[in-house]
Amino acid sequence: MGTSVGGSDLGFLREALRHRLTRRGFLRAAGVGAAGLGLPPLLAACARETGTGGVDVHELFSGPPEGQVNFANWPIYIDKAKDPETGERYVPTLRKFEEETGITVIYKEVIQDNPSFFGKLQPQLQAGQPTGWDIIVISNGWELTALVKNGWVYPLDTTKRPNFDAHANDWAKDPPFDPGAKHSMVWQSGLTGIAVNRDLVDAPITKLDDLADPNKLPPGSVGMLVSEMADFVMWNLGIDPETSTPDDWRVAADWLLKQRETGLVRQYYEQNYVDDLTNGNLAACMAWSGDILYYHTWGGYPNLEFVFPEGGCLFWTDNMMIPAGAEHPVAALMLMDFYYRPRIATDVAEWVLYMSPVKEVQDLMLEDARKAEEKGWKGYARKLYETANSEYLFPTEELLARTRFGRTFESDEEKAEWDSIFEPISEQA
Amino acid sequence: MATTVVSRKAARPHGISARRRRAAYALLTPGGIWLVVFFVGSVLVMGYMSLKSGGLLSGGFRFTWSFGNYVDALAGRQMFFLRSVVYAGATTLGTVLLGYPAAYWIAFYGGRFKSALLFMILLPYFVSFVIRTVQWKFILADNGILLGTLKDLGLLPEHFRVLSTWIAVIGGLVYNYLPFAALPLYVAIERIDRAVVEGAYDLYATPAQAFTKVIFPLSMPGVFAATLLTFVPATGDYVEAEILGGPTTRMIGNIIQTEYLTRGRYPVAAALSMVLMFGMVVLTSLYAKLIGTEDETVAAAVGA
Repeated sequence: MGTSVGGSDLGFLREALRHRLTRRGFLRAAGVGAAGLGLPPLLAACARETGTGGVDVHELFSGPPEGQVNFANWPIYIDKAKDPETGERYVPTLRKFEEETGITVIYKEVIQDNPSFFGKLQPQLQAGQPTGWDIIVISNGWELTALVKNGWVYPLDTTKRPNFDAHANDWAKDPPFDPGAKHSMVWQSGLTGIAVNRDLVDAPITKLDDLADPNKLPPGSVGMLVSEMADFVMWNLGIDPETSTPDDWRVAADWLLKQRETGLVRQYYEQNYVDDLTNGNLAACMAWSGDILYYHTWGGYPNLEFVFPEGGCLFWTDNMMIPAGAEHPVAALMLMDFYYRPRIATDVAEWVLYMSPVKEVQDLMLEDARKAEEKGWKGYARKLYETANSEYLFPTEELLARTRFGRTFESDEEKAEWDSIFEPISEQA
Repeated sequence: MATTVVSRKAARPHGISARRRRAAYALLTPGGIWLVVFFVGSVLVMGYMSLKSGGLLSGGFRFTWSFGNYVDALAGRQMFFLRSVVYAGATTLGTVLLGYPAAYWIAFYGGRFKSALLFMILLPYFVSFVIRTVQWKFILADNGILLGTLKDLGLLPEHFRVLSTWIAVIGGLVYNYLPFAALPLYVAIERIDRAVVEGAYDLYATPAQAFTKVIFPLSMPGVFAATLLTFVPATGDYVEAEILGGPTTRMIGNIIQTEYLTRGRYPVAAALSMVLMFGMVVLTSLYAKLIGTEDETVAAAVGA
């Protein structure tokens, strides 16, 4: 891995290297200034927006920020470092926010997957009780749609996020599942494509049909992600999930049933396909870009490769939202906007290796790579370059045009029909 | 018939027995509360959920006596119930076949190492259930330390695999439930009076006869407890099928999980759970009626 650096205690460990870099990042970020700190009340003049739950948005987000934010996020989804004096692990970007604003952030990595976290909050939300969280991070999908449709998350005051307005990518500003990003702000995002284990496959795997081709892949060596496979297959068959009809769904279901009949499918994964991939049980599978990039570049599995199939990738976002009944909405929105500062977003992106919603991240990451090179941290610089130049982390317009979001359901009836069409695939006895 | 006995009992001085009875009830309270809160309470909540209707995109679920959920839940699901019962049956058989010799040997020949040997059976269970199961994925990987080596030696065909098949699922279940069988078996075998076994030999029984006519029948309470303690939880289990299994090994627990998580149909998932639970109550009661005696049922409870 890395080379040792002139007498310093810098190891080869990713964390140690990151730790240095993020510290330097801090000094620079301090110059970015306090753009996120409260806008004067010129907003009061704006038209009053009312959310689905009949919430007065401006009133909700008016007044001074509260002293605390309770932030629920997924594991390993934020920058981390070890305090050199106390040896205590902390989140540098959060510490910076706390120092700047005096607001305490309670950050918990409690979200293992969307449906079970949603399932935990749902009874409280339906009963109109506070959940105890001020920020939750939920992927686009039926859970997010339910939260928005039922007024279980607060609409956001779109006039109070200057960093978001200045730095967010276009796709983050107006996602199809939440037009105008009125209820949600992207935390990180990624692509669902195909991962290939080069140790096990010689044949080129370039398109969806390869995942159902017994001449290319050994039996029981293909993994499918159960919650995304319908959208993924549809898009790869040339059908835009967003405008698809039940007939299109049947076409995708037929493809999946045929794939199942080949005996290639090892498992329909709810979540954890990575173990089977790293253990060499899967030759190819549906996979998330960030996972594969991490294992390929940083995790010691150069044999794993992320393939952008000919038919395209699914695009997904994990989104920060403020659940209804949250006690600290003003501070929560401040924190959400804080993560749209380019420097802060870069610190997070260098750690989590997913796609950042902030435009300037790629340039800042390249700059960090140059600085690492100047310091002589060759291994780290090489990895940063590789990361910053990855087209799957920073897709071009052309590549983005070949991605689609999964279906957003309009009604329970529509979802029920969808479920009944795709049920037989994972449930054929 | 027994009226005299009853009346004689009733004629005893009231003071002590009433107080004793009160004390007995008082002693039952902690367990009773536990049962009410964690069993009766949660079953009621589940039953309540199973009769709701509505959808998560239109405000959530409301209680409407929707018995139709049960029809929806069961349609086309017989195969998964059946598979769960078959897998659990195989698991029970496997744990007893593996646990009995171990328990027998420890009880009869363990000597002063009995506790240490029992502790060794339990030792792996100090590690979390899921982690232990995931480790099997590593051990049994298609080209991993075990199968990869055998394939290199030419002992297995190239595409042979254990993971993602029923062998892995049942194997995982046997592995995880073994102590639930071994411990009650040990308790029962340990209690057998050695004099009775010696008596059998004195009467010219062969070792096989001594086992089948004396030892095994006397260990029946343990066998009864072991089968119940493995069969019931194994039927509802979904972790092994999820981690070690594949598309053709899904059990009813996986279906419940999919209904709840992937599809967000909470009432249907609750209805399936209710059916599974009452199905198990019926099956185990039948089993208790056919095989068990009161002694054995008590032993099952104590052995647990």
